Amino acid sequence: MRTVFAALFCGMLMAGVADAATVTNRDEKTAVLVIVEGESRMEFAIASGATEMICPSGCFVTAPSGDRVGLQGDETIEIVNGSVVVK
Amino acid sequence: MHSVGKLTALLIAGSFGVLTLGGGFATAQQTAQPAQPSQPARQVRPPQQPPAATQGTPTQPAPPGAATETDDGAAAASPALQQAEDQLAQAERELNRLAERVDAAKEDDTLLAELKVQVDELSKQIIAASVGTRPRLDEIKARLTELGDPPGEGQPPEAAIITEERKRLLAERGAINALTGRAENLSVESRKLANGITATRRALFSNTLLKHTDVSAAMLSEAVTATVDEARALSRSIGSWLAFAWNYKRVPLLSALFLSLCAAFLFLVGGYRLFSPFLRHQDEEEEPTYFRQLSLAFWSTLIPTMSLTAFAASSYFFLNSFNVLRPDIGPIIAITLAMSVAVFFVTRLANSVLSPKRSSLRLVRVSDRGARMLMVPIFAMALVNGLDYLLGSIGESLGSPVVLTVARSFLASIIIGLILMSMALIRPMLRTDEPFEAPGRPWPRVISLSFLLMGAALIAIALSGYVGLARFIATQIIVTGAILVTMYIGLLTGKSVSKQGAFAETAAGRYAERRFNLEQVALDQIGLAAGLGIYALVVLFFIPLILLQWGFQIADIESWAYRILTEIRIGTITISLVGILAGVLFFALGYVVTRWVQRWIDGNIMARSRVDAGVRNSIRTGIGYVGVGLAGLIGLSAAGIDLSSLALVAGALSLGVGFGLQNIVSNFVSGLILLVERPFKVGDWIVSGTTEGFVRRISVRATEIETFQHQSIMMPNSLLINASVGNWTHRNKLGRSEIAVTVTYASEPRRVIELLQEIAAAHPMVLKNPAPNVGFTTFGDERMTFELRIYVADVLKAGDVRNDIRVSIYERFRDEGIGAPFPMKIEDVTPEEEAEPPSIEDEKVEPQPEQDEAVERPISRRRSR
Repeated sequence: MRTVFAALFCGMLMAGVADAATVTNRDEKTAVLVIVEGESRMEFAIASGATEMICPSGCFVTAPSGDRVGLQGDETIEIVNGSVVVK
Repeated sequence: MHSVGKLTALLIAGSFGVLTLGGGFATAQQTAQPAQPSQPARQVRPPQQPPAATQGTPTQPAPPGAATETDDGAAAASPALQQAEDQLAQAERELNRLAERVDAAKEDDTLLAELKVQVDELSKQIIAASVGTRPRLDEIKARLTELGDPPGEGQPPEAAIITEERKRLLAERGAINALTGRAENLSVESRKLANGITATRRALFSNTLLKHTDVSAAMLSEAVTATVDEARALSRSIGSWLAFAWNYKRVPLLSALFLSLCAAFLFLVGGYRLFSPFLRHQDEEEEPTYFRQLSLAFWSTLIPTMSLTAFAASSYFFLNSFNVLRPDIGPIIAITLAMSVAVFFVTRLANSVLSPKRSSLRLVRVSDRGARMLMVPIFAMALVNGLDYLLGSIGESLGSPVVLTVARSFLASIIIGLILMSMALIRPMLRTDEPFEAPGRPWPRVISLSFLLMGAALIAIALSGYVGLARFIATQIIVTGAILVTMYIGLLTGKSVSKQGAFAETAAGRYAERRFNLEQVALDQIGLAAGLGIYALVVLFFIPLILLQWGFQIADIESWAYRILTEIRIGTITISLVGILAGVLFFALGYVVTRWVQRWIDGNIMARSRVDAGVRNSIRTGIGYVGVGLAGLIGLSAAGIDLSSLALVAGALSLGVGFGLQNIVSNFVSGLILLVERPFKVGDWIVSGTTEGFVRRISVRATEIETFQHQSIMMPNSLLINASVGNWTHRNKLGRSEIAVTVTYASEPRRVIELLQEIAAAHPMVLKNPAPNVGFTTFGDERMTFELRIYVADVLKAGDVRNDIRVSIYERFRDEGIGAPFPMKIEDVTPEEEAEPPSIEDEKVEPQPEQDEAVERPISRRRSR
């Protein structure tokens, strides 16, 4: 039983380490990103000034300007003038 | 960041228990269908082709005009791009190689697990390759910003070198975007491959019942990690979807919800309105009939379930048609809705059957407390299975690792085992004389022991590592148990319908009584038939269901049913139920057709052709024999009985005919001869031996003769053939009748003859030809006897005619003074005797018992005609 609890605790610790990419929209208007993560391709809307967490395990993002960037999942990115800036 | 992560992890860990209850329906069904492994394989295969396809036609939006120069100019210009290009090409080759290996290693779980790790690594590499181009893209963008926009219409042109550079930069930017697009596609393919591997492994786990899984701390910890990851991914995608829907699709979302609520409300209200007659008397009846309880249970389960289904279906439909759903969210929402409906339905059904609050509506005989207690494990099992199925589907759509499936199945099996064991402790049973409030007795030993054993076995199997097997057994126990309980209720229904007088109480019974004016007995018979029908339906429906549940294919069941119906082999004898049924059907059909032809020929053809009634009867009977015989032959051959084998029967029969059946056969054949030869026909007046009367019916064995006293005599046909038969009405109804007249020698014989002839001629019914004649037949001691012979057209009327003529003779002789036309004692006449009326002794030849009959006999003895 103790091992089970230990395992649960370890699991939680490990899960806590995982991170995701942070996107902040610096533009005046809402930006719609196309995010390809895993098998799915989805539209992701970020309101002006909002910050969202996306794709923890790596993804591809198409910015409103049409540029595409690959993300490894730990970046902090900003949307400036419709294009993606990776910090 | 860490603390935030832990907090979420803690929160989400709570849902771990919920998430890991698993493997339910999905597991069972995959396990039940061993033919499925081809499906995961199909999922895996696609990655092989698409990379080639995407190479040829890049879908990415490259800037216009840049496409042609991209490869030469731009690639040469940037080593980073070239490097990324090389990396991608290598990754693509690697991906193809992995896909082939996955295809080859479909059955090998260990190898698949390794391959999965490699594919995941490859995905990371692909992303890394595209990340490598990011700095160059930033440079280009910065430089383009420096260069500024190209001059507009009216502005002075810029230097050629700037235009050239901008063009080059734009081309390179396009090339990078194209490359990233390629990487994107490649990454999608690799993720598909990874998910395909997981699906294959999950199916392998489910399909391999006897696979041993190590239940260890490491595995549990892995499961927890995976659960937290998946929960996070799920909450993120749901959260982002909700945010998206709320921010940009608020109106469609709300209107979809509103419309579906409306639909549910409509169903609920409409249902209760429509079926209120079935639900109304709930509180009035103290002791409702079983049938009434059933219909109450049925409707009170159906209506709420229908309205919930309407809500679920319409909300999915509206959300889908208003484009609120995202492709990754759609399946999750659909499964969640479906599962809630299913769990609700099961709970509702259990509630109706057990009716914990109102004992008078309970369909199974358990105590109040027992009913309440039973509800808990039933609900728990439905919930566990539902959650299991739900989480399984969510895991599939998220591509969760196999360890989650294992952990979920493990947990679900243990929970179900515990529930089963706890069910053994409930004491719901009642003796027949105990009221519902009684505390209740424990289950019969067999049931409680099997509950305990099954639960313990489940837990033991799960703990010993055979998780797939445990989950399979758990699902089978629940589903088969549910089917058996439903079947039991179905059988109870059949029993209650076939009970005496129960059918008349039902709505259908009342309708039949009103509409067809049926008697109590007929209603009872219908009820019996309906009860048997319900039994048959229950058995026919549920047994295939259980077999399906146990993993038999529909094709198997079909072939069994087919074999049972067409070919039951006992030793060398083959019996075909369908054949026998077809035979009976053909015989019935032939019989009906025969009767119809009989009626048609008789009523149309023969009645119009004024065929004699007797002939009509003969023909009709003959057609009946032939038709029934033909129908029998057709039926026999349709039943698959070889007609040549009848020869054997005929041989045996002929032996029997020699001994016992001789009379019957001879009567039958005589009957046929009677019909063909027609020595008499129906309605004829015949005399045979001491029997005399009218022929009423000529049937197979005997002829029915009705005497003048209305006594029916069945005369064997062979007697009528072998003995002599007198027939008064054979060719025609002409008959001769005699009246004897005696007078004293004082009378003048010629005058008497003349008088008698006159009297006969005067009667309208006496035929002129042959003419009546009078014979002087006897010189008696005291008197002479004359005989008046008359012919009448209808011998049946002869009695009346004789009557009239006698009256006339008496009156005429009295008027003429000839004297009494009958014997009188004249030698010693005393005054007293003279005063008396004359004795009635006129016809010496006629014994008179039948004088009062409707039809009289003209004479007693028949002379030759």
